[in-house]
Amino acid sequence: MNSLRHTVRRFPACRTSGWSALMAGFAAIGVLTVAAQAGEPDATSIVRDAVNHWRGVSSDSVMTMVIHRPDWERSMTMRAWTKGDKKSLVRVLEPRKDRGNGTLTDDNNMWSYSPKINRVIKIPSSMMGQSWMGSDFSNNDVARADDIIDQYDHSILSVTEAEGITIYEIESVPHEEAAVVWGREVLQIREDHVVISHRFYDQDGELVKQLTSLEIGEMGGRLVALRQRMAKVEAEDEWTEIQLDSIEYDVDLKDSLFTLSNLRNPRD
Amino acid sequence: MHMFAILARLAWRNLWRNHRRTFIMLAAIVLGSWAMIFMTALMRGMVTEVIKDGISALPGHVQVHHPKYRDDPSVANLIPIPDSEMSAKFAAAGLKGWASRVRVPAVITSEYDSRGVTLLGIDPERERGLTFIDYDEIDGRFLESVDDPGIVIGRKLARTLETEIGKRIVIMSQDPDNEIADRGFRVVGLFTANVTAFEEAFVFAGKSTTQKMLRIGDRTSELFAVGDDYRNVDAVYSQVTELVDAGVEVKSWFELDAYLGTMLKVMDGFLLVWVIVIFLALSFGLVNTLVMAVFERVREIGLMLALGMKPRNILGQIIIESLMLLTIGLVIGTALAWLAVQPIKEGIDVSIVAEGMDMWGMSSVLYPELLLRDVILANVVVLVLGFFASLSPAWRAAHYEPVEAITKV
Repeated sequence: MNSLRHTVRRFPACRTSGWSALMAGFAAIGVLTVAAQAGEPDATSIVRDAVNHWRGVSSDSVMTMVIHRPDWERSMTMRAWTKGDKKSLVRVLEPRKDRGNGTLTDDNNMWSYSPKINRVIKIPSSMMGQSWMGSDFSNNDVARADDIIDQYDHSILSVTEAEGITIYEIESVPHEEAAVVWGREVLQIREDHVVISHRFYDQDGELVKQLTSLEIGEMGGRLVALRQRMAKVEAEDEWTEIQLDSIEYDVDLKDSLFTLSNLRNPRD
Repeated sequence: MHMFAILARLAWRNLWRNHRRTFIMLAAIVLGSWAMIFMTALMRGMVTEVIKDGISALPGHVQVHHPKYRDDPSVANLIPIPDSEMSAKFAAAGLKGWASRVRVPAVITSEYDSRGVTLLGIDPERERGLTFIDYDEIDGRFLESVDDPGIVIGRKLARTLETEIGKRIVIMSQDPDNEIADRGFRVVGLFTANVTAFEEAFVFAGKSTTQKMLRIGDRTSELFAVGDDYRNVDAVYSQVTELVDAGVEVKSWFELDAYLGTMLKVMDGFLLVWVIVIFLALSFGLVNTLVMAVFERVREIGLMLALGMKPRNILGQIIIESLMLLTIGLVIGTALAWLAVQPIKEGIDVSIVAEGMDMWGMSSVLYPELLLRDVILANVVVLVLGFFASLSPAWRAAHYEPVEAITKV
């Protein structure tokens, strides 16, 4: 769930201006020069700052996830806690029939619990690529969103300005041996560390899916993406949106919150 | 001996007295024995292909595993002996072929799809020619060493995943502590397999690369050895048993794949049944022919008996006649079967029905296999049973009452 939150936080809404789209085509080298002239930070630290910005030391939030398909739509309300960059716990509040379903992540590992079967199941590696709670996010997206910092080589594609805010477009190419299938990922990050969009390209350079921040605002004392949408390019009418209902940063969370026994028997 | 010569001459002449009937009977025997031998060769060929494919997929004639590996082929059940120690022993033993490998279930993921596969961490040089992979038929290249950073997947799997040579895929599995073990690999080659199901089932990576990814150090999941003849693996089996310590499980291929093992045994029994069934159909014709020959010659037989020929000589004459007929038929039939196999020795392309054959784990080229022992089996069965079948008419002829027989109208 970590990632979910990651994602949530990570991709602030994107009102991509025509401006930035135009700039996106710039060769990286040229752009780097621009960046260097402006005395801007390097790409890796921009990404790291963005990740740290949404992660905080800890957080406690309530969010609503809407899964949209051509012939149906459902929404779930969940409460999520995160601590550090490894631990997270998500529990479903609504709808009633799913109430109590939970997901715990701890350093790339993931467990899920369903009160209906009263069992904690460790998500095996074979299922990490599968959908998380039926959404367009995969278990991997949820459990290991941190990989973006150290498993990739980052470079600045372009620096643009929209509505007075500088936007960095950063290309992240996974390391040769990184467990990442994408050919490259392109992030748009504002100078205030809010991620506007995160696009995933295949190894032929085709856009496969993208996470966009539809709404950016202040909550919990920080500027974050309030509503984000993950959508596959091939299936326009299928997407998942996550809306942040409330969030509190730097709350004091006990380690015992992120344990298997708490996943099974909530004591919060 | 003198008597036998006379009887043989009498039998031979009788045989050609009604040559039309003899020819018809001969045709039946020729066709029957041809069918027995030719079809046997085809069936043998089919079974041999299935077994060879099966053994090359296992692979090997004898395998060594952790005792629990076959019930739960996971990374938790590795051979409890370090690979380097085992390899040193096996290299010194002078086996015809052997290799150790890591074999774990894994998930392969591309940008578009993911599939469950069996990940094989192999030593490509050691396994050359021992498995179903033909190193020269690889698109791109095969692995070059145990440290090769690349991965080789099946052509069909590549299509499913929408990936190709030069692109990266992710392999995900678990380490012995149940933690996720994963790594990106670049596809360096695509293999083709006779059995297309293998193209989706197996992916090959370097042994050391795989061990590093799974964090299992110097350990492997299985070791296999190959002997000279898959029909007889006792020698390899005892050799391997001596090389490994207690605490591992050594199994031969027919125990590892009971279906294949049973197939070989069932085939031998089945061939006998097949030969006998054809013979039964033949025997009706044979007995009928002999009975007719005896009926026609009642007076003649009576005369010979009256002149002093002993009943057992009459019996012998009829039986010799029958055996002569069978022998001629069998010789021609066997020769025809041999000739029929010659033009298709290089294999019959049955790719028209390849999809159906695939379901049975068969390849799309069929190599007939004419074994001497199958030919002998068919001939001996026909001669022996033919002898018994001709006893009844011969017995009848030998026991005519001379007076009655002579006067019979």
